[in-house]
Amino acid sequence: MSDGTPQLTLSPGLTIGYQTPLAKTEATISLEPGTHFLLARNGRGKTTLLRTIARSLRQLNGSVEFTGRMQYIPEDLRFDEEIPVSSIFKAMIPKARLATAMELAERIELDLKKPYGKLSTGNRRKTSLIVAEYSLDPSAANILLLDEPFSGLDAYARTAFENIWKLSADKILRLVSCHPDYDSMAMPSALLIQNGSIQHTCDTAQTWSQLKSQLN
Amino acid sequence: MRLFKLTLSTIFRRKSWAISALLVLVFPFVLPYLSSGAENPVLFEPALAQAAWSMAWLSTIFWGFFAAAKAGDANARSGLGEYFLTTGVSATRQLLEIWAAVTTFVAPLGLAAALVCIFAASPSLADERIMWINANLQYALLFALVVAPLIALAVAVSSRFGSLTGFLTSAGLTVYGLYGVGYMKMLLSVESSPLMTWLWSVSPHYHFADPTERLRYKLGAIDGGQFPLLLAYFAGILLLYVAISRLLFRTKVTA
Repeated sequence: MSDGTPQLTLSPGLTIGYQTPLAKTEATISLEPGTHFLLARNGRGKTTLLRTIARSLRQLNGSVEFTGRMQYIPEDLRFDEEIPVSSIFKAMIPKARLATAMELAERIELDLKKPYGKLSTGNRRKTSLIVAEYSLDPSAANILLLDEPFSGLDAYARTAFENIWKLSADKILRLVSCHPDYDSMAMPSALLIQNGSIQHTCDTAQTWSQLKSQLN
Repeated sequence: MRLFKLTLSTIFRRKSWAISALLVLVFPFVLPYLSSGAENPVLFEPALAQAAWSMAWLSTIFWGFFAAAKAGDANARSGLGEYFLTTGVSATRQLLEIWAAVTTFVAPLGLAAALVCIFAASPSLADERIMWINANLQYALLFALVVAPLIALAVAVSSRFGSLTGFLTSAGLTVYGLYGVGYMKMLLSVESSPLMTWLWSVSPHYHFADPTERLRYKLGAIDGGQFPLLLAYFAGILLLYVAISRLLFRTKVTA
């Protein structure tokens, strides 16, 4: 049983950036369990926003409040070149979920015996995503922040992860930054960063095709 | 303990620990044949003891501190430090977990050297043998006490300044503490200088933890009154280095 529901609230006026402001919220943004996409053109602050929410970076103004166990997977997360994928999983994933994680790895053709340094970009991404998904504590409220999880990933693997997300959408809050590669991708909840403003848009029929025209 | 397990597994997979194990467990039996121990059997056992402890220090300096520096550097630069931080693993805990993993490999090197000396070079007389065992176990403890904070320092310095700086800091301090302070004392006996005297007194006197002289001349175990003072001295250095390490350690490269 889940201990509470994950929630994430960005206060109005939340300003992100390193020394100079990059973007800010105009109104309160509240996110509930489910998958929320974070969309913006390059350099507009997607990673900065994720790192601010993850408390890895201090906001310039405003506040971020959340309920749940946070996990942020940076885009460039990497492991030692010589360690095989199976050893990474054994160290990072709780024993109770290890077998399921290994099964998924085999299903999406991730070679468990191969040293991490010899994996392709896509397979490295699969490794990080499996670590993230199977490190979640099923007994707690979880918030998962994923920075560009799809880059380098093949369609089969992407679908496998999207299915996992659908199955746990009522328990886990995922905020996923990405540049989708097909127009029909459904995005019922999305955070857009445009003109220095962070906005939340919700529509069950909303797709990437409609949202990308709003990005500048 | 995920970072501990990951670091432990990473070091194990790199396999270079096997070279250190070989140096400490096998070389002491080979090196005496290259020394005067080959000509004079009486010298063979002291030579073996000296080789065992020298290999333990050498492995620690060149492999142990390198492994520590690489682990600290990788944690900060690979995104892992940031990942763990966002999951609630504080910087202090990350430093502790990396340190514990590296120490798991390095601290036994001193114990291995002591065991080689005890099982392969113990004197035949019962009284001397007891002294020999005590001396070796005392130095295994001092070795661990000296090496532990230097590992933390290598991890911390490398997380901020890179692995080369981290490695050189701990390796340099160890070599200076083992041999450099002795040369400084010799210089002071020739020409005294208040600055040099002060520098000498605040230097880490790691030579107190090096048993090679004591074992070579069979000087027996460290005196019961002196040993606690040595433990306290090295514990003081440990506290200082741990504090410096925590201040220097960082989990990510960028702001």
